[in-house]
Amino acid sequence: MGALGNGTRGLAGGTDLVPLLRDGLVAADRLVDLRRVIPSGIDGTAIGAGTTLAELEADPQIPDALREACRLAASPQLRNMGTIGGNLLQATRCWYWRLNYPCRLHGGDVCHAREGQHREHAIFANDYCASAHPSDVAAALLALDATVETTRAAGPLAGLYRLPDDHDRNLVDLGADELITRIHYERPEQSVYLKAMDRKRWAFALVGVAAARYDDGVRLGLAGVAPIPWRLASLDDLEQATPLPGTAYKLELARALGRRAIAAVGG
Amino acid sequence: MKIELTVNGEQREADVWEGESLLFALREKLGLPGSKNACEQGECGSCSVLLDGTLVCACLVLAAQADGHDVVTVEGLGATGEPHPVQEAFVEAGAVQCGFCTPGLVVATVDLLAHSPQPSEDEIREALSGNLCRCTGYAKIFDAVRLAAQ
Repeated sequence: MGALGNGTRGLAGGTDLVPLLRDGLVAADRLVDLRRVIPSGIDGTAIGAGTTLAELEADPQIPDALREACRLAASPQLRNMGTIGGNLLQATRCWYWRLNYPCRLHGGDVCHAREGQHREHAIFANDYCASAHPSDVAAALLALDATVETTRAAGPLAGLYRLPDDHDRNLVDLGADELITRIHYERPEQSVYLKAMDRKRWAFALVGVAAARYDDGVRLGLAGVAPIPWRLASLDDLEQATPLPGTAYKLELARALGRRAIAAVGG
Repeated sequence: MKIELTVNGEQREADVWEGESLLFALREKLGLPGSKNACEQGECGSCSVLLDGTLVCACLVLAAQADGHDVVTVEGLGATGEPHPVQEAFVEAGAVQCGFCTPGLVVATVDLLAHSPQPSEDEIREALSGNLCRCTGYAKIFDAVRLAAQ
């Protein structure tokens, strides 16, 4: 692991990193195949970071929210390849970022999406950068109160993410030589993941809502609404959203999916 | 770098650049142009192959990652003059328009029927959701899958 850093990138499923390398959005002098290095497989409520989405969607022990989040992600081919660790670290789908516009995430001083095309963008924390985090899995894991174990530390999943600022444009708080090794979740009484997409399969979430019911109440995690996976204490917090003109509809989607998700888990 | 892999049951070797995709190596180095190169983003499924028996997009696998592994491409399913039953079903059902998506769909269908010999409508749609046909010939493609499942 110490060999990572210095232009070296770890590669697992490759479903995000390979296209990013090809498009010149990520540079690497050297790639290290992590698949035989990082843990994989499911052991109770611990999930090896190298476990594929296809394995998770098929395992009846996995809570419904996470299984559905995996099942509704990408396509069968990509779920066969993509790992849960890589899924948490995937880059934004913001087209300005993907087309290498000099936006804030690329170190520039403007968010092109705010003034431009932003139909698929954020409704929370979108002042500096309006990109929306695409991970269905992260939304489910937020609701499932997950912790992330890395080669250096363990902590709540929410702590893996940060909002970008002038000093640091990263959305992930992970060292260059640090790898996610395992994810642990809390088993809920009941859980669900609901995802609004432009088509029924093989699309990123416009809004994804995960709900999980525990003794002390229902926990909610959202995809597609902020630059990072977004936790809501309750649906009332949707009133704090700051949608852009083109994303006002997402607030309605989040309200509707949130109500349905809470009802579905008996909350 | 040199890689050694099993392709369609044969031991093969190829000299590849470290960043090269398995798809490029199959098409350009190993003389197997059946897997198609369209989006190179994992979005269209036209490069679908079986890697150690798992359906993947060959454009997203680095050739170096396939070193020591087993690959089956569309060329490995049938033989000249003896098409695979799934290929016969595609012909029979008229499930081919421009044909560019066909190899990927055939490989994905073979994978589906290996796991689920009598798939439901939902299973068929789910299993083929990663294979795009821009001629939009999906109805005939689903007919072909049902025919092959008989």
